[in-house]
Amino acid sequence: MPSGPPPALETTVLTKSYGDLVALAPLDLTIPDGQRVVLVGHNGSGKSTLLRMVAGLLEPTSGRAAVFGHPAGSMEARGALSYLPDNPVLYDDLSVLEHIEFTCRLHGAEDWEDRAAGLLHDLGLARRAEDLPSRFSRGLRQKTAILLGLVRPFGLLVVDEPFVGLDPQGRDAFIELLDDAASAGATIVVATHQLEYVQKVDRCVALRDGELVFDGPPGEVDVLALVGY
Amino acid sequence: MRRRSAGDPALDALADLRRARRARRVADIDFFEALYRAYLTAILAGVALWLGSGLVGGSRMGAATAASVDVHGAPVVGLAVALVLALGLRSGGQGGPLALEAADVRHVLLAPIDRSVALRPQAWKQLRSGVVAAAGTGALLGLLAYRRLPGNVLEWIACGGAVAALAVLGGYGLAFVASGMRIGRRAGTLLALAVIGWGAADYATGLTTSPMTLLGDVALWPLRWRAAGAAGLLLPVAAALAGLAVVGGTSVEDAERRSSLVGQLRFAATLRDLRTVVVLRRQLAQEVPRQRPWLKLPGRYVAPTAPTAPTAPTAPTAPTAPTAGVADGAGTGAQRPRPRRNLFPAWRRGWQGILRFPALRLGRLASLGVLAGLAELGVWRGTTPLLFAAGLALYLAALDAVEPVAQEADHPDRRDAYGIEAGDLYLRQAVPSIVVMTIVGLCGAGAAALAGGSFLGFEVGAVMAVPAALGAAAAGLMSTVQGPPAVFNSSDTLMPPEMAGIRNLLRTVIPPAVAMIGVLPVLAGRHPHRGLGHLAATTAVLPEVLFAGVVALGWVRYHDRLTGWWRQSMEEAQATRRPSPHTPS
Repeated sequence: MPSGPPPALETTVLTKSYGDLVALAPLDLTIPDGQRVVLVGHNGSGKSTLLRMVAGLLEPTSGRAAVFGHPAGSMEARGALSYLPDNPVLYDDLSVLEHIEFTCRLHGAEDWEDRAAGLLHDLGLARRAEDLPSRFSRGLRQKTAILLGLVRPFGLLVVDEPFVGLDPQGRDAFIELLDDAASAGATIVVATHQLEYVQKVDRCVALRDGELVFDGPPGEVDVLALVGY
Repeated sequence: MRRRSAGDPALDALADLRRARRARRVADIDFFEALYRAYLTAILAGVALWLGSGLVGGSRMGAATAASVDVHGAPVVGLAVALVLALGLRSGGQGGPLALEAADVRHVLLAPIDRSVALRPQAWKQLRSGVVAAAGTGALLGLLAYRRLPGNVLEWIACGGAVAALAVLGGYGLAFVASGMRIGRRAGTLLALAVIGWGAADYATGLTTSPMTLLGDVALWPLRWRAAGAAGLLLPVAAALAGLAVVGGTSVEDAERRSSLVGQLRFAATLRDLRTVVVLRRQLAQEVPRQRPWLKLPGRYVAPTAPTAPTAPTAPTAPTAPTAGVADGAGTGAQRPRPRRNLFPAWRRGWQGILRFPALRLGRLASLGVLAGLAELGVWRGTTPLLFAAGLALYLAALDAVEPVAQEADHPDRRDAYGIEAGDLYLRQAVPSIVVMTIVGLCGAGAAALAGGSFLGFEVGAVMAVPAALGAAAAGLMSTVQGPPAVFNSSDTLMPPEMAGIRNLLRTVIPPAVAMIGVLPVLAGRHPHRGLGHLAATTAVLPEVLFAGVVALGWVRYHDRLTGWWRQSMEEAQATRRPSPHTPS
């Protein structure tokens, strides 16, 4: 009988298929609490499918995923996992500040005002806090989504292609925020094509055509060649 | 699991958000605009009532006919109720009918709150709107029934409204149960068929075994009071309560997929962009082309093979004939496919698309054909307004059948790269669609013959199949080729607003009208003149109907040229009206 705290993320024979198309072949993966993991693979390799199943947005065809021991999508898992999608989805009629307040209250966050102010500053949104994101550019909307993902409490941060649409300053700021979250003890899983980010993590998981082709420290093999970059 | 009470901060946040957004929406309403819309709606409702009354006719039914309605009316209404319930089950099996905002799916459904509490208000809102709309429609139908049948007008209106509202209540309830319990598409479809079958069995046997037929009894209470009908009220209410109880189990995956599509669907419907509505509705039902076609056309293109690593030399073998479709080597690494001589590439492309139609679409085409056939049988037997139902069913089928042309219209850049005029391409690709519609028409002829119990029905249907197919296909092509109405048209500035409105109305009305022309021969066959038999009378008007179809196809052929000429003329007219900068004012 295993003892100790449950891993931050555990998948057991997790599979997703659409008809005869296998988006993710049976995957067994265990990510301990506090680890920084990068998920690499070319388009259609199954990265987003995996992350969306873990976040509870997609239902597995078979197998299971657990977040800190709770089934993905359950109320406990939703409280522990923060998901940052590649396409920001925001309310058209709420300002950035109203989004923040709503998100924090939904997640039962306490003393969030200072954290929100810090994030607004770090992401360069302080002067736009009262504006509607529906009038923002793609990059600013992405920053707003990042802010909402980080302002609420979480133990596992799951990020899908976070650098898309960000300017270099925004990218640097976001990487720093990821570092801060990791320092605070959060587990971070990032799916990205950003090659330089791969060197900053503890572990690299590579997928190709829905199958796991590498799982280990990033410097161990030429992962990028393995997945076909 | 944490239990969330009414005083839960997260739920309070959700309630606050909804309250604030509602207040903001109300504040944004332009009351003059709202009154204007209400005024237009009232006018349209009045026109619909007037037209509907005209169709039904003002004369009272005779005692024998009224007695027949008394006997057969309940199963017929029950069958209609069964159709509504079946629609609910189908929608629920596909994750519907909840249409959430995409941001609600991402922020609310992924938050650690009870999804039942989060989804129930949205479900209640949709249910309420549907029931109110149905009650209005039912009351209108009750009023129309009163014009022909004995009884008190208020009773007819009340019973019509109540039955329609309960049918929709039950439909929504079953849909929420199906989606909340995640029964899946297949089970949803099977249950829907079972419900329709149950209603149809009651109709065929004359027995009252289903709650739908009991509800049908309620609709006829103004004719005769049957206390048993009250039992029919239980199913919709129970279904709605059960649906609201389990709606929290709705799949987030389905909710997210629907959230993006439903918004687009509504927008397209507002713009009367029929093609986009068709495409989005297919996406909503996850109706995708088959990976492998039902039949493979002969003389297939063979994809080039990837270069392979050189292998050790082997003993020379006897030369073999080159593989069909693959050029022999040419020393370039990858082998090139040999170009095939194809006399009818557009036809071939059309068939390739049609042969990938999913089973669901083929089933829908056949069902619409059957529906059209049964409606024509009704026309044959004297219910002339069913002509609209027949034409509309064929028109809807045609919107599916003209998919090859629609694909070209959807991708104008690719279409224009072919080097032939768009209209020419459309006509060439229309041929497979007309063949498909002929098969649909024959399905209808078969259904009419079976239901009517005479071979004449099949003969008449078979004779009409080609003109009806041509009319319907031409109608589908017109809808597809004309595209959505332009938001701004240069000709608008030279046209009075009333004319622009009429033009938009004609754009919407003409294609289904063309489809209805295709089924007109059934009227000629019903009342033969000049000593002709039924079949001969039907055949006698075919040339005129075929001519109308050909004219419609001609419009499709020259649509681009005509619109181009019109636009240019309008622009020139505008240029002559605009004062020259050198003209002294």
